[in-house]
Amino acid sequence: MWSGKAVVSTCAALARLAVAAGKRSSTQRDARRPEVRGGSVLVTGTSGKGTTCRMLAEVMRAAGLNPVVPATARGRVGVARDLVERAWTRRVPRDARSIGLVAFEPAALRDYLRREPHPAAVVITNILGGLADGEPHGAAVTARLEKALRSLPASTTLILNADDPHVAAIAADVPNPRLYFGISDIVHSRVRADRTAAALPCCPRCGHPLSYACTYYAHLGHWACGGCGLGRPEPDVGLTKVGRAGPSSSRLQVVATSVSTILDVPLPGMYNAYNVLAALTAATHLGLPAWSLRAIEGFSTGPTQMEPIRVAGHDVQLAVATNAIAYTEVLRAVLGDAEPKRMVLGLNTGHRAQQDISWIWGVDFESLAGLVPGAVITGDRAADLAVRLKYAGWFGDGRDQRQTVGARIEPDPVRAVQAGIQGTPAGEPLWVVSTPAALAEIRRWLRSHDRVPHPETRRRTAPFRADARKRGPQPTRPRAAGPQPSGPSRSAPQAVAGYMAARRSRRAHGARRRWTTQRDWTAQRDWTGWTSRMRRGQSGGSR
Amino acid sequence: MTSKITVAHLYPDVMSACGDRGNVAAVVRRCRWRNIDVTVTELGMGDKVVPDQVDLIVIGGGGESRQRQIAGDLYKVKGCAIRDAVAAGTAAFAVGGGFELFGRFCQPERGAELRGVELFDSWTICRAAATGEAGGTPHGGATPHGGTTPHGGTARGGTAHGPTTTDSAIRDLVVRWEGGLLVGFENSPGQTYLGAGVTSLGRVVSGRGNNGDGSEGVRLGNAVGTNMRGPCLPANPALADFLISAALSRRYGTVDLAPLADDLELAARGAAMNRTALSARGRGPKWVLGGGAIAPRPRFGMRGRAGVRG
Repeated sequence: MWSGKAVVSTCAALARLAVAAGKRSSTQRDARRPEVRGGSVLVTGTSGKGTTCRMLAEVMRAAGLNPVVPATARGRVGVARDLVERAWTRRVPRDARSIGLVAFEPAALRDYLRREPHPAAVVITNILGGLADGEPHGAAVTARLEKALRSLPASTTLILNADDPHVAAIAADVPNPRLYFGISDIVHSRVRADRTAAALPCCPRCGHPLSYACTYYAHLGHWACGGCGLGRPEPDVGLTKVGRAGPSSSRLQVVATSVSTILDVPLPGMYNAYNVLAALTAATHLGLPAWSLRAIEGFSTGPTQMEPIRVAGHDVQLAVATNAIAYTEVLRAVLGDAEPKRMVLGLNTGHRAQQDISWIWGVDFESLAGLVPGAVITGDRAADLAVRLKYAGWFGDGRDQRQTVGARIEPDPVRAVQAGIQGTPAGEPLWVVSTPAALAEIRRWLRSHDRVPHPETRRRTAPFRADARKRGPQPTRPRAAGPQPSGPSRSAPQAVAGYMAARRSRRAHGARRRWTTQRDWTAQRDWTGWTSRMRRGQSGGSR
Repeated sequence: MTSKITVAHLYPDVMSACGDRGNVAAVVRRCRWRNIDVTVTELGMGDKVVPDQVDLIVIGGGGESRQRQIAGDLYKVKGCAIRDAVAAGTAAFAVGGGFELFGRFCQPERGAELRGVELFDSWTICRAAATGEAGGTPHGGATPHGGTTPHGGTARGGTAHGPTTTDSAIRDLVVRWEGGLLVGFENSPGQTYLGAGVTSLGRVVSGRGNNGDGSEGVRLGNAVGTNMRGPCLPANPALADFLISAALSRRYGTVDLAPLADDLELAARGAAMNRTALSARGRGPKWVLGGGAIAPRPRFGMRGRAGVRG
């Protein structure tokens, strides 16, 4: 019968397919994977991987490559991460100029290698672990990474930080080619161990405590083992001189075998010098021309990564810091020239796992006392941060009844930035260093007043705006002409109590509807009165 | 006359997991603001405690691996001297993991138990280890090192209600102490039990404390052990001043400390109490979280709000 024939022929076709599938060689099967042409570069490490990726992408673009960077390829767990990766690999165009570039958490390397079995290079920036109790120690992170690195093909080059003993000696038995980067400028080093380094690491080979000739930050420096003689490898790409080119940029002299150049990078700080080095090492390994390396000078920072925003004649720089090392290094980067600066310092608790803020006692505030006149302290844990600063000697003598002379506690991040701008002399920059939650609130406020250029958001919202135009004139949103004075200074307990009351009422009035009510949110902010004052044309600003 | 105290900071490199340097910093600053000379001696592995020369002994917290690293040295090299010093009136302040090792023993989640200094008549069992025991009674009713059992009614916690079902305590901890309140942060997988006749530091108002039975910490003369980890003294100036005056009293007799302006510390403490759904107005005998007449207030924090990355 017809149907019977159909069944028979279908079965036969299925059988042929099955045989063909079984016969298909492994190379054929690999070829069907959506692997990125021209290899890909995987960047991992505890910190700096995102910035390294951005810098490398800039160099690649200058050299005529098309770096394909996933928007959110940070290591996520479960399905979400899988979806992100799949979406990314599908998006990669199949041409000779495209190259994949991913930054992700060290723990996710194994999963990435399943998708990208033949990366051109794996860059490891640093492994900072055991910052707090319960966090995985550096050794634990290293062990997981080593396990993943053993499954790499022999052609993949490892680009490693020579100054981090966890990274430099990682998977010593793996035969892959290695390239090292490191800092040789001992002028900016510390002789004593950094107080942010919880405990200096032990030798990865013999377990003997390491000795340091100098450290740059945390446990990164010129290390050697007195037990087995293992030492810091000589870097292939080295930084021979670190200097400052401006308040928020650094001048770096980079020396490699084929190239020696001086770069003005728009980011200060030793940790960013390492990021530049990592990106340059990867670029030279990929054979990108020497002239394209200069593109790093024009790279734009990521959101809240020392992101400059122009507000009312002031450069407001947003810098995120999530742990003791990051907080210390951001402050050192900003205050490295020992010039007093205006700052807003923030501390927020995040989700459940981040309720513990005791790490602020590991931040090296002591050595920076006196460099931040009139600091504004913000965030829902502003009072705790103020206590920390008081005991670091920032507020002078504890016998003084007016302890926060010059400093101000303003738990609401937006009000804090307003107060900070108000207290900053004209033309001077204001630095906002904080944990992510408070910074996000500040950035959202700035974005709601079109202060933050964000091309992707604009592209996404463009159709919505076109619709609005069709519907006819809409009530215009008040636009901030400048920051406004934010009321008289309050005492710390008053400020904390007032902020909490405002927060409770905001929450009660539907602040949880977060995406739809962004504009209402802005309107609600008028309890400080700055929007209406602005409407009246009293655009205050600097004193 | 300028008074002077010497602080011995035990294992500052190892037992500083939760910002424990803050405790020493608080003592040092508060002394200097009062023109009291302070010398801090950092004692690491192999360094001995000299009882006559130390006025205040401070040890911080640390997890299981850190405890294992120092436990042998603490018992063998320093244990006897610490007991002698406290018996002679020296003040001591032990936090978290250090507090657990100042007791009789500490049974970590994995591996062999760690012998303590035996300064306090207390012992700590981590939860995974505790559930393995019948009825939650550590050592089946025997004391760690022979002797009669402190369990079965006389001891607090343990057998009376079975093992407490609270999970690993990571939260703010509020404790009533000498008519005032102490606020801290507890982050402990272990449960501490006190022997009969041992005075606890205070009564728990919110949080878990030693093991969920309402007691928190240990007080023995001028020695204080607590689960309030990390920077406990900066947030609780009264406790810091108690330790300073205790350290001074050993040399100079009873001392009246000059008051300091503590408005920042009190603001931080007030914020912590608001977080734990308490307020000064609710002060009363029936402070039972979630079950009493006072309904818990909505939590104050960034949870559930927009803008948290990830």
